[in-house]
Amino acid sequence: MTDPKWAWAPYEPTDANPWDRRKVGHLYRRAGFGATTAELDTGVKDGHLKTLTRVIDGHAESDDFSSTSAFMASERSMPSGAPQERLSAWWLDRMLKTAHPLREKLTLFWHNHFATSNAKVKNARFMLDQYHLMQRHALGSFSEMLIAMGTDSAMLVWLDTNKSTKLAPNENYARELMELFSLGIGNYTEADIREAAKAFTGYELSYGKSTFSYRQHDGSEKKVFGKSGKFKGDDIAKLCLEQPACPRFIVRKLYRFLISESDTPPAELIDPLAEEYRKSGFDTGKLVSVMLRSNLFFAKESYRAKIKSPVEFVTGIVRGLEGTAGALPLAESLEGLGQVLFAPPSVKGWDGGPAWLNAQTLLGRNNLALALTSTEDTRFGSRCDPAAVLAKHNGEIVDFLLDVFLQSDVQPAARDRLHDYLKTAMHVKYPAYWSVGDVSNHRVRAVAHLVLTLPEFQLN
Amino acid sequence: MSTRRDFLKDSSLLGFGATIPTFLGQSALAARTADKPGAKDTILVVVQLTGGNDGLNTVIPFTNADYYKLRPTLAIAKDKVKKLTDDIAFHPAMAELAKLYTEESAVCVVQGVGYPNPDQSHFRSMDIWHAGSTAANLTDGWLGRTLKAKPSPAFHLAASNETSPLALAGAPVRVPSVASLDDFKLKTSAASGADGAAQKGVITGVADTSSGGNGLLDFVSRTQMNTYASSEKLAALGKSYKPKVPYPNTALANKLKLAAQLIDGGIGARIFYVALDGFDTHSGQGGATGAHADLLQQVSDGISAFYRDLAGHGHKDRLCVMTFSEFGRRAKENGSKGTDHGSGAPMMLVGGNVKAGIVGEHPSLTKLEDGNLVHATDFRRVYSAVLEQWLGVDAKAVLGGEFKPVEVFAKK
Repeated sequence: MTDPKWAWAPYEPTDANPWDRRKVGHLYRRAGFGATTAELDTGVKDGHLKTLTRVIDGHAESDDFSSTSAFMASERSMPSGAPQERLSAWWLDRMLKTAHPLREKLTLFWHNHFATSNAKVKNARFMLDQYHLMQRHALGSFSEMLIAMGTDSAMLVWLDTNKSTKLAPNENYARELMELFSLGIGNYTEADIREAAKAFTGYELSYGKSTFSYRQHDGSEKKVFGKSGKFKGDDIAKLCLEQPACPRFIVRKLYRFLISESDTPPAELIDPLAEEYRKSGFDTGKLVSVMLRSNLFFAKESYRAKIKSPVEFVTGIVRGLEGTAGALPLAESLEGLGQVLFAPPSVKGWDGGPAWLNAQTLLGRNNLALALTSTEDTRFGSRCDPAAVLAKHNGEIVDFLLDVFLQSDVQPAARDRLHDYLKTAMHVKYPAYWSVGDVSNHRVRAVAHLVLTLPEFQLN
Repeated sequence: MSTRRDFLKDSSLLGFGATIPTFLGQSALAARTADKPGAKDTILVVVQLTGGNDGLNTVIPFTNADYYKLRPTLAIAKDKVKKLTDDIAFHPAMAELAKLYTEESAVCVVQGVGYPNPDQSHFRSMDIWHAGSTAANLTDGWLGRTLKAKPSPAFHLAASNETSPLALAGAPVRVPSVASLDDFKLKTSAASGADGAAQKGVITGVADTSSGGNGLLDFVSRTQMNTYASSEKLAALGKSYKPKVPYPNTALANKLKLAAQLIDGGIGARIFYVALDGFDTHSGQGGATGAHADLLQQVSDGISAFYRDLAGHGHKDRLCVMTFSEFGRRAKENGSKGTDHGSGAPMMLVGGNVKAGIVGEHPSLTKLEDGNLVHATDFRRVYSAVLEQWLGVDAKAVLGGEFKPVEVFAKK
């Protein structure tokens, strides 16, 4: 078994486990949306401490980024009835351009945690408000976020709190608060839920604003987790936070997000971090920093121990090719891969792991990789051009693409096949009107597509 | 878990060449025996009603005064229901299924189905139904284990954002999720036919990596190999299909139509899985019309068209459609004109060989548990009948225990 002390101690490079391009790639994939060639170069050159600090702390967003993103999210450009894809595209664009990818990445984690879908909420303003709540606390205080979520407009609609009254309490929010947002199944009783549901009455939406109605609120005494009081919604959230199951539940979920989804970590590994997390008052930034700097994070068993989510797959390609694909078509294409931002399939979020891949989504990944790297498909513009990036970095086709996307960590047989393809491609009859440049660009794009279909590229 | 080597061996033995995966390879076996009378393989189509279907407003005890007391705004008036017997009726939106019941004798309703100590979490309860078990840790599904015991092709007919259900986990070959046969095509940016073939050669070739023990990498390459091998064949399949009756244009009906194509295409698939979401009617559920009625109509019209289409193609006696939901809903309606999570609820089986009629009594409306209808029949007794008498597998092995089969199939 992994020694917890070793596991969470800060990683130091050794001869057997050196700081190298693969580790930089691993860090950028997990803590962000993939690395560019320049980021891989700098990461290796700067060493692990400087690189980790840069990735964890990030940089302040540029004025240009902030104002453009805010404008795109303004009521004028994103009214409450704005279509789903526009919301999704807006966030995707932030993920691709942000100066602090870790924060957006953790926001995505929380989105999957408090999984709320615009399919029911049907209000882009509410969804944006919830996004901002999660982004504000992404690396901040989980307790503040959990309490605030109880009166979040999108959440009020999503789990019917806005329809829950003293005479007819609705159990939906109370149940998911315990089962999915803070404790996990087995750490509460049905009676706890029925009692807690009474506390979540009287929270209403009035003229698009979250309000509280004393008249509809059940002010009677409730008994939850053995404690009695005239609880309101925020009291229930606080009671959940006091349960020992709560920090463990969140740490376990973050472990799966940041470290590995291939194993179920034993309690010995989770408990020390859970205890620190509780003591810190649920400071998520601190917890994430410990995880990302740890021996376990950089250990062999955590490397490629996750299946890339569709968002990670797509952003990784665009960043690796230093491209600027249109966010809207990119967002639309995510649907076929099984992940629509702001529209998780249920309050449980996306299952993740092997569930990401089936016949359909795999073909979807291959065909999207093709569309992004080829000029025949004009959906994404030609601003994501492997030939142009290769020309800029001046390398050999196969070596360059395998380096930027996989830090050259592939089976020798796969590398041979790519070289063989290039050799056969020499003898292919190209259309007579193609110039020498057309032919060579075609080959670069074809190899880029093939690299993106490698089984290794589906892993994170 | 069969290894890649097994699957190459199996499929080349069947003469399909080296890249046909087992789930298609099996079709050769099915085809070989299909000529003999009665040898055509039976088919199970599971229809999942996601969110907790309100059983009480689906199969209605319309002569029971307590029903009308419990449901002051949601109850269906006596003169509106579709009568099945003197005191049991379908919701009015289920006219088509009622017709299959009365005219075709093709519907069996099992009342009050559930399991002991019902769980009211959507996810936990759904997992229990999927796994066919109430154990604490559920990692594979009853259909996955069935496929392991008796391998055959199977399909999850899905919307693109739907993940493969737990019910199918544990199958020897990952069950593909399919939304449309047209999407089932591997594309390349070929400058010519030879270039395209070379690129496809690389894509299928690199999938076949023998990894150094990384389970996930193995999983990815296995999924890729299955996918590539099946894509060409499936893409060709749908083009020639002509339904015998029109299907309604709903998500569920479209999935069932796809199932009909795959069944009629004769690739030997025996298990199909589809889901329809939206049954979590906490508020604004509606009565004879409204949200719940629309869902029931989608179920009823979709299954009915599917049955009649397959009957037209001569497959009705091979067909068994089985519906279930993770739980029913609270007997008493809530204040939001909806219903909260409950427990016991009916299941329906539709097909040419089901024992038409109603099985079991309607759960009591006065002896409730926590306000919920008490189940009389364990759902694993229905599974057991399906496994033993329909799919021909050892139910005890699949369910990990003895469950007396409910009589839902006609005796031959």
